[in-house]
Amino acid sequence: MRSETTKAMVELKGVSVAFGEQYALRRVNLKVEAGEFVFLVGATGAGKSTLFKLLYGALRPTEGEVWVLGQPVHRLKPRELPYLRRRMGIIPQNYPLLSHKTVWENIAYGLRAIGYSEQAVRQRVAQMLALVGLNEQARQYPHQLSGGEAQRAAIARALANNPPLLIADEPTANLDPDTSWEIIELLLRINLRGTTVIVSTHNRTIVDRACQRVVAIDRGQIISDVPRGGYPIELERLYPSVAL
Amino acid sequence: MIDRFRFIVNETWASLRGNLAMQVAAISTACIALILLGSAAMALYKLDALAQSLPNAFEASVFLHTTVSRAQTLKLKAEIEAMPEVAQVVLVPREVAWEQEKQKYKDEVNLADLPNPLPDKLIVRVHQAETLPAVSARIAQSSLVDEVIDSQAELEMVLGAARLVRWVGLGTGGLLLLSALLLIYNAVRLTIHARQHEVQVMALVGATLRSIRLPFVLEGMVQGLLGGIIAALITVLSAGLLSEYMVSQWPLLKDMPPGLPPGVVLVGVPILGMVLGGLCASWATLRYVRI
Repeated sequence: MRSETTKAMVELKGVSVAFGEQYALRRVNLKVEAGEFVFLVGATGAGKSTLFKLLYGALRPTEGEVWVLGQPVHRLKPRELPYLRRRMGIIPQNYPLLSHKTVWENIAYGLRAIGYSEQAVRQRVAQMLALVGLNEQARQYPHQLSGGEAQRAAIARALANNPPLLIADEPTANLDPDTSWEIIELLLRINLRGTTVIVSTHNRTIVDRACQRVVAIDRGQIISDVPRGGYPIELERLYPSVAL
Repeated sequence: MIDRFRFIVNETWASLRGNLAMQVAAISTACIALILLGSAAMALYKLDALAQSLPNAFEASVFLHTTVSRAQTLKLKAEIEAMPEVAQVVLVPREVAWEQEKQKYKDEVNLADLPNPLPDKLIVRVHQAETLPAVSARIAQSSLVDEVIDSQAELEMVLGAARLVRWVGLGTGGLLLLSALLLIYNAVRLTIHARQHEVQVMALVGATLRSIRLPFVLEGMVQGLLGGIIAALITVLSAGLLSEYMVSQWPLLKDMPPGLPPGVVLVGVPILGMVLGGLCASWATLRYVRI
């Protein structure tokens, strides 16, 4: 039966991912509308990264449908994936900056790879550096940056093509609380500009402070979906065992 | 378009620069393999040309005694023509042959004042190659005939040499070429591994598979091309020097048919290296560059 297209920014319909006998995700249903800011929370190994990989086509679901920006990712051919990814900003976990390139060159690299002219590259990189507050560090190499600055550079690189959707897998991992909140503030500002943002984390403090929609995942299943402003009281009442 | 081209060239250069030892190994092996293949091709071409220049298997040359008159020659010619196995007999008069020799060696020696030492020659062609030895033997019995030469022995020798060159040259060259291709494959595979972060970034920002793979394919093509250029230069120079040396030792070799033109080797071998290098690199990228 032919699936119907969706107008949601992201929609997962009955999605399961199995590696042999083991299920990383089981019958997941999720819908994210344009302009939303969504936290995906859960313990390590809960299935957050698997879900993210489904969104940008690095994994295929064992069953179910994955729709992103109106595209059926579950049945896109490899040659069609790049055109979807150009409309997404992707910050995977352990997504290092290129160590032999400066911040400026790191941001420019992605743009050049998708065919931007040199003039457009200069313009977009300058805009991104201003957006993430890294003008001063433009000529520095990754090893000269703090953890927060490196993460901001990664965000700038992901946003350089002006995508309507940004997904960030654990962007605050290994950052101190203040720097973590700086990164979340930056993502909230980006969301206010109209970009839909999905962030995975297990940092409870920042989820508490941000008061955005929170989707909790545990052992491959969505166990709660608390709308913006509803967290943390409702989630704790319903699922006190969820480890954040 | 220019920016895109510049990006691809920069990426290719970064790949080539990043793994210098492996590049040198791949290029030098490709070079040695292509030298062997190029030399074998040149030798085979020369032997083939030599085989073509020899009287064919249907033909024998009958040299008469220098004392034989033209009338006797014509009588013998008629007798041979009467043989049922014979298809044609052509007379090469001694004065015509002598004129040809004088022309051929005019740069080396002045033959103008010497008496003509050559005999009349009859070129005998038969209908079927297997009858040639018997016909030659019958003609040789005539008292007018000094010597009958059919080309069977020479032809066998040349074809034997060609077989040897083919098996040894192409076999060894082929094995080395296979090693070179595996080295190019391995060099590209290592480069892909060394540049996996760049590949990951390109894949995630939405670069097409083709544009991610192209710099690695170009890397393989450059390796093959460089190996091919060096091989072609060495092959052509060595062949030229060897040929000069052999002619200086045995002037009659000057009459040998010309070999493969150097231009063909200088263009063909690098192109062969480039194409094979590109194919190997494509194979490596198909296996190791995924999005």
